[in-house]
Amino acid sequence: MSFLEMRAIGKIYGAGSSEVHALTDVDLSVERGALVAVMGPSGSGKSTLLSIAGSLEEPTSGEVVIDGASLSAMSRNDKARLRRRTVGYVFQDFNLLAGLTAVENVTLPLELDGVTARTARRAGMTALEELGLADRGNRFPDELSGGERQRVAIARAVVGNRQLLLADEPSGALDSANGTVVMEMILAACRRGVAAVVVTHDATLASWADRVVVVRDGRVVDQSATLTGSPSSSAPSSPPLER
Amino acid sequence: MTPTPALVHERPSGARLPVRRAMVRWAWRLLRREWRQQVLVLALIAVAVAVTTVGVGVAVNTPLSPYVGFGTATDLATFSGVSPSETAAVVTWRQHYGSVQVIENETMTIPGSITTFDLRAQNPRGPYGQPLLSLVSGHFPTRAGEVALTSGVATSLNLTRGDVWHQGDIARRVVGIVENPLDLLEQFALVVPGQVPHPNDVTVLFDAPGVAPHTLGPHVLTPAMVARSNPLNPETISLALATLAMLLIALVAVAGFTVMAQRHLRQIGMLGAIGATDRDIAMVVRANGVLTGVVGALVGVVVGLAAWLAYRPRLEASAHHVVGVLALPWVVIVAAVALAVVAAYVAATKPARAVTRISIVAALSGRPAPPPPMRRTVVPGVVVAVVAFFLLGAAGASGGKGGGVLELVLGFVALTVAVVLSAPFFLVALSRLTRRAPLAVRMATRDLERFRARSGAALGAISIGVLIAVTVMVASAARFGNALDWAGPNLSPTQLILYTPGPYGPGPGNASAPLPTFNLATMHAAAQSIAHALGSHTIITLETTSATLQHAGPGRNYSGPLYVATPQLLRAFGIAASSLSPTADVLSMRPGFSSLTSMQLVYGDYFGRGPTGGHPFACPASDCLANPAIQEVSGLPSGTSAPNTVITQYAVHRLALTPLVSGWLVQSARTLSALQITDARATAAAAGMTVETKSSIPTSASIIDWATVVGILLALGILAMSIGLIRSEAVRDVRILTATGASSTTRRNVTAVTAGALALIGAVVGTAAGYVAVIAFSRTNSLDGLSSLSSVPVANLVVILVAMPVGAAAGGWLLAGREPAPFAHQPLE
Repeated sequence: MSFLEMRAIGKIYGAGSSEVHALTDVDLSVERGALVAVMGPSGSGKSTLLSIAGSLEEPTSGEVVIDGASLSAMSRNDKARLRRRTVGYVFQDFNLLAGLTAVENVTLPLELDGVTARTARRAGMTALEELGLADRGNRFPDELSGGERQRVAIARAVVGNRQLLLADEPSGALDSANGTVVMEMILAACRRGVAAVVVTHDATLASWADRVVVVRDGRVVDQSATLTGSPSSSAPSSPPLER
Repeated sequence: MTPTPALVHERPSGARLPVRRAMVRWAWRLLRREWRQQVLVLALIAVAVAVTTVGVGVAVNTPLSPYVGFGTATDLATFSGVSPSETAAVVTWRQHYGSVQVIENETMTIPGSITTFDLRAQNPRGPYGQPLLSLVSGHFPTRAGEVALTSGVATSLNLTRGDVWHQGDIARRVVGIVENPLDLLEQFALVVPGQVPHPNDVTVLFDAPGVAPHTLGPHVLTPAMVARSNPLNPETISLALATLAMLLIALVAVAGFTVMAQRHLRQIGMLGAIGATDRDIAMVVRANGVLTGVVGALVGVVVGLAAWLAYRPRLEASAHHVVGVLALPWVVIVAAVALAVVAAYVAATKPARAVTRISIVAALSGRPAPPPPMRRTVVPGVVVAVVAFFLLGAAGASGGKGGGVLELVLGFVALTVAVVLSAPFFLVALSRLTRRAPLAVRMATRDLERFRARSGAALGAISIGVLIAVTVMVASAARFGNALDWAGPNLSPTQLILYTPGPYGPGPGNASAPLPTFNLATMHAAAQSIAHALGSHTIITLETTSATLQHAGPGRNYSGPLYVATPQLLRAFGIAASSLSPTADVLSMRPGFSSLTSMQLVYGDYFGRGPTGGHPFACPASDCLANPAIQEVSGLPSGTSAPNTVITQYAVHRLALTPLVSGWLVQSARTLSALQITDARATAAAAGMTVETKSSIPTSASIIDWATVVGILLALGILAMSIGLIRSEAVRDVRILTATGASSTTRRNVTAVTAGALALIGAVVGTAAGYVAVIAFSRTNSLDGLSSLSSVPVANLVVILVAMPVGAAAGGWLLAGREPAPFAHQPLE
């Protein structure tokens, strides 16, 4: 059974003559442990698709089901709870809170969910350790490199055993080496059973995915494609992990 | 489909605490890292709390404490002299409550002076009165025949320690110099109990815990009763002013917190993306507000305490009593701190709500919410203004009878609300009016309209500042412009009046037998001696008759002396007899005095006879002249005690009045010094006269000028603090403007127009609201009426309506023009 199911999703911005069809009749399903890459030109609707999948935006039509629960039946608070416990986001420009340390950024979803600070910190440090940032936990974001910041963002997205990882150009602000490391981490999460959707322009990184969905003018034009060969050539020291 | 239990499960019990902690932590870090963004709000709050701390300390400690007479007792009874009831009460209270201390006072006059002092019988070691006595030198009197004096009494009586004071037949040796540390101005001669022969004031101190004072007798007071009897005490006034200040700060702080929220829009979007609820997100902004309030208030208290400690010695010197290091009304200070926090919280509430309305995706992209739908109507503001008008009218109607305070307060609150509600309408109207104006003007006024959440609040605050200033200005002009009840300084700093002890004194209607001529000669000689000592060649004899003026109608009555316009007096003020109408009865420098109707010149036994035929203003020809001929003469002096209004010799002869010398006006070339005044008093006292010199009553001009200055500073201060916030909202537009080739002049013009337009509308709205207030009040006020508003402070209004906006625009132009930050993508971290 798919962990994420998007059925006949449509999204229209504006009204009347200024109406823009961002997405039209999009179907997408992602199983547990699968990594799906979404590709397409600028303005094709990739980020909108991701926003709707993560309950950040309401679709104009269609239905989103996560782990068997329809988002349309949820209140705003239910959706917020869903994002705290089930969905993790990774943004291109990291979106860490500058005023909080790395570990505090990681533990934020847990603390928002009512987990005590001590327990949350323990979980946060564990997540950072797994991503090789144990010694960076008490640093503020502006004291970290770009790659480290994105790893912190990934730790925040997966902490608390969340099952759906949505990444919007996660390597867009990174060099290729750091981009590879980030993709490795997303793959590692998938290996633990996390369903992941990654929006990317980079065909090399998309080749790490189990499936590539191509979006153009708001429609899915191909979601059967898989790109092969590139990962090993772009990251010889870190081949895709076996799942 | 219903969410599965796996997705939607409950939080752990008590789970709000970690959320709150996380949100408050982030808010605190935001404030710590970016306090410069909030420096304006922080500074405003800190200054307001600091000023409140020092101001309330000074206000409370400058006058004598109303509890000063209690010493350490909880109950105080006063009696007018010794009586059987007083004696019985003391005996009863002593039986019931144990210790009782009796303090007896007899008022005495220092020879040759109108100054009095008390002959006081008090046990210095009594159970309750010890705080009221302190020994400066020597020792307290221990037996009959000994006295301790305050230094003032010792100086006046020319006595030092060891001298013998002869009071009638009684001789007492001065054994010490004493003072009342709670009232250093109190002058008394201390003797042992039982040595005051004819006490006219007896104070009984005792403790009757838990007993209702009224059950003890009609003369008993407790500190709580004293506090209740004076609701408008310095604490209440300070708290009211602090509340007003916090209201203004809250209006400005709304803009500050909105900009703060918008600066962190993407972070807030991220917070939503990882699962924060609307409530959590709003909590960050609210917590930021509370923390800003707390930090600002604490800084204010620290600064205020430092200023208080530095100023306290000076206050002691000027207040003439000992002021404790921490003798501050802490309840008021704590209330001011709480008000600051509440104001900051309330100011943050609206931006907190607004930020939760932005979609997460829009927030993540850093796009602020579009301005809310435009409210073009001024109706709510007008409705509230009408309510304010009637409330102030009700206050005016009862104002003359000593009531109306509640209506007055509510009226001003309603007027303030009306101003705040109306402010956005004027911004919209301005934008419409400037549709075809040059680019910078158009852009500035449209931004004011688009972002009126900020500009409207700032405009409201500016208008309220101007409203207060204009109300004070117009009310002062009206009060000081009243020709009947002449207000203002009594004399100029170079003038001094010597009053004979009778027959008419400084005021009208004291007819009695003329003074013996030898006394008058002595007094005249003393007056000449004083004038000589002051280097003055101008000594004007002041003559009065039994005549005075009366306003035979509703409203205020005539106030002031009515001296005789002797040739010497007219000559001294440079008034030529040829310039006067030969049939004028009264001359006056008071503007508008000649056009007053229902005036009567009453004399003789008019007041002794009582109302004729039940009519209060009956004017029988025997002792009343209706509608006397009044001529305005600008050359007469303006002081309220000076001969600003005089009766002509024509009238004196016509009414067969008898002029009598009631004093001399001495005019010096230079301002009189304290030493000169003291010497003059001593000389005058020796001749049986009293002296009047300039009092501290300000002129109308000084009150109006100060109100103008304070109003402008308040408005410009709010403007300076708001303008950056308002422009920061449109910074994206300015960047686009710069990218398309606009020079710094264009940017300067935009800021200048923004500042000038806000100042202009604020000045117009504030002035209009100020006039609404005074018109509403005066319309129904029986004392003054609408006619009192005929005296308009034109120059000061022009300064507010013209100079202030021009100054604001100039300031905005000079301070703007900096290149905006480039378009480069700015990551959050």
